[in-house]
Amino acid sequence: MDRLLISLKFTMLRHSSLGLRGIGWVLGALFVVATWTAAVLAAPEARHDVLTLAFALWAAGAALGPVLLSGRSVLQPGYFALLPLRSAEVGRGLLMSVFVSIASGFVLLAFAAALVPAFLGGPGAVLVALVGAPLTWVLAITASRLVFGLLGAAMRSKVGVEIAAIQFGLMFAGMFTGWMIVQVVVESVPRLLTVGIPAPALTAVLDALPTSWVVLAVEAAASGDLLGALAPLGALVLLDGVLLAITIPLLAPRPTAAARSRRARPRSVGWVAGGGLLPATPTGAVIAKELRQWWRDPWRALELRTGVWTGLTIGLIALISGTYSPLSAFAGLIVAFMLGLSACNLYGQDGSAVWQTIVGENDGSVRADVRGRQWAAVLLFLPQALLLSAIFVALSGQWWTIPVLAAALPATIGAASGAAILTSAVGVSPGVDPRLRVGPNDANGNIGLHVWVVILLITIGVAPTGAAIAATVIWPSTASVVLAVIVGVLNGVGAAWFLGSLAIGYLQGRMPDVYSRIRYARIFREKSEGILGSIENATLLGEQKLAEQKKKEREERIKAAAR
Amino acid sequence: MMTHDAATAAFELRGLRREFGDKLAVDDVNLRVPPGSFYGLVGPNGAGKTTALSMAVGLLRPSAGTAYVDGIDVWDDPVEAKRHLGVLPDGLALPERLTGGELLTYWGRFRGMERATVAARTAELLRVLELEEAERLGTLVGEYSTGMRKKIGLATALLHTPSVLVLDEPYEAVDPVSARVLTGILRRFTAAGGSIVLSSHVMPLVEQLCDRVAIIADGRVVADGTLDEVRAGSTLDDRFVELVGSADLQEGDLTWIGS
Repeated sequence: MDRLLISLKFTMLRHSSLGLRGIGWVLGALFVVATWTAAVLAAPEARHDVLTLAFALWAAGAALGPVLLSGRSVLQPGYFALLPLRSAEVGRGLLMSVFVSIASGFVLLAFAAALVPAFLGGPGAVLVALVGAPLTWVLAITASRLVFGLLGAAMRSKVGVEIAAIQFGLMFAGMFTGWMIVQVVVESVPRLLTVGIPAPALTAVLDALPTSWVVLAVEAAASGDLLGALAPLGALVLLDGVLLAITIPLLAPRPTAAARSRRARPRSVGWVAGGGLLPATPTGAVIAKELRQWWRDPWRALELRTGVWTGLTIGLIALISGTYSPLSAFAGLIVAFMLGLSACNLYGQDGSAVWQTIVGENDGSVRADVRGRQWAAVLLFLPQALLLSAIFVALSGQWWTIPVLAAALPATIGAASGAAILTSAVGVSPGVDPRLRVGPNDANGNIGLHVWVVILLITIGVAPTGAAIAATVIWPSTASVVLAVIVGVLNGVGAAWFLGSLAIGYLQGRMPDVYSRIRYARIFREKSEGILGSIENATLLGEQKLAEQKKKEREERIKAAAR
Repeated sequence: MMTHDAATAAFELRGLRREFGDKLAVDDVNLRVPPGSFYGLVGPNGAGKTTALSMAVGLLRPSAGTAYVDGIDVWDDPVEAKRHLGVLPDGLALPERLTGGELLTYWGRFRGMERATVAARTAELLRVLELEEAERLGTLVGEYSTGMRKKIGLATALLHTPSVLVLDEPYEAVDPVSARVLTGILRRFTAAGGSIVLSSHVMPLVEQLCDRVAIIADGRVVADGTLDEVRAGSTLDDRFVELVGSADLQEGDLTWIGS
């Protein structure tokens, strides 16, 4: 049974594209090498700290990795619900299949770094490491499955979305503030390798973590302390047993899984009756629809919450960094900027639902659709950007930033809303069609290029405001500050209007092609000219390359099967 | 709005053709739907029904040919043609996070209809199609069953009073009680002078509903005309199998089942 499930999993993986998994493997291999290198190079008195820290990070990575990288586990318990098997059997099989994977192999290799101190400590210590490393591996992988299971397939609950958003926020913040973090790491790695972690409180916490027990056991064995070596190993065995006992039933198929939780109260009677705050125009209709999608769709909500968490995290990193803490006042600006990235693929995210906009075409329908989407995004992101600005200006005490923000926020949010809708229109990149989505990465196709187009458009879009703010520095006066704020507001409105108009002009008559890109991954018309045309072609090429690659893989498999 | 006369077909597919790479999905399809008729489009899976209808309603650019709604070219004057057209596609997404009522309200207002009209028709459609209970519970369209999705889809197709309905598999997964309601609505629509094109796999359904039929196989129309012309004295089912071919179960196949 377990062997069958494992081979089923590998069969299914062969039918999926390499993509992110490939990147994950390369990163995993690099991290394994880094772990061993650090273990070997570390000074004897620092090695304990290096290993316990590295093992803790590996366990954390194993817990978060599946949520970030794949989202969906390959084998779903539901596949086996109808088989005449006890559900505990299926749960055990599913768990076993997780252990047999490349990623899990890396984790095992990393924990095997406990052999480094063991070799120096004699044969007894090596034996302890050979037993302890696999036990730690079982612990980390089982805990990882437990976390994944508890997230309840993350996207099915509000809490799950929030957790995923925090993770993405941390990731983006890490990318934006990478230079700050790199600086800290570069400064601290040599110190870590020579003297270890200088804070005793932190080392005490690290030592208490189960991932550190194998290191403690090896050290005890090296010094001839038999009880000190066996006690941590015994504790590991016990903990593994408890975790396995909790995790297996969680992974097993449950007959009640189909029952959905219902909201306690109805939510739309007022709207059905035709009421509501928004104007009863086509644009108003689109705004209302979009606001609801942003709030209720887990994938849209994830984009929205990620924007906020990115701003919050960057603000906090800047605030505690000391050197850069005045910059934290601009955290709200990051949220405004994130609007551009969060909404850069709206048509692709809507998937085949775009048929409605085509079938319902009339003289103003494209305009209403574009403007409505822009309004909805601004209505959602602006209040959060303002709130975060208020909090971080107060926390950092940088009151001088208020007029700068009053100019920069409207400019950025306007330019971002324009850049986002234009990129959405030109670079339609569908992910999994809405009803079939499961994992947090399912909503978008290939948006690598979109991100850069948006960043470029926003940067150009806010240039006038940038100049006006620079002017307040060169000629500091009340008049220049007031002027900067006026320029900022006009800049925001102007950029949103202009970029939105470009999107409307582009989409006018091209809506069937948007549908073609989503449904058939190609466009049935002459290639477009100009800058927008070349972005259209480049993004389409990105989609097609992905499809082409999948096709080639499939053909090769057919050839291999024929041989 | 144009008047229906005998010369102008309510809906006409003229020389429609679509290639996907090397594959010819739809090969020179011609169909004429007279005003007030109930037209059934039948064919095996992958015959090109959905592709042909997608081109006819303006969703997919044809390689050649075009379609006319009340004499208006769908690809030359899409705005005017789409005013006359109500469409229910098969298997496409909707704004999944709206309730049925919210979807209809959005849809009506997006098409520029009056607030009061949208509200009244939405309430009535939800009641007639028995979606009121789901609306009261706040069920989102994404949580609807396939049959409920078909019903809310039909409601969006009807909301703006079109004169031609194009319905791709409208009865799929609809329960028998709802199917009667659906049939009642469609019959009322044709009785009032509207025309319907419907695609289906279910021959008895087409025989019961439609006065005209076309059989599509491999992207071509292999037979069309009134129901009696196409049946040619036999049943539609037999005629279909005769034209399209079938793989009958042989004597020696699957002898082990039920043993």
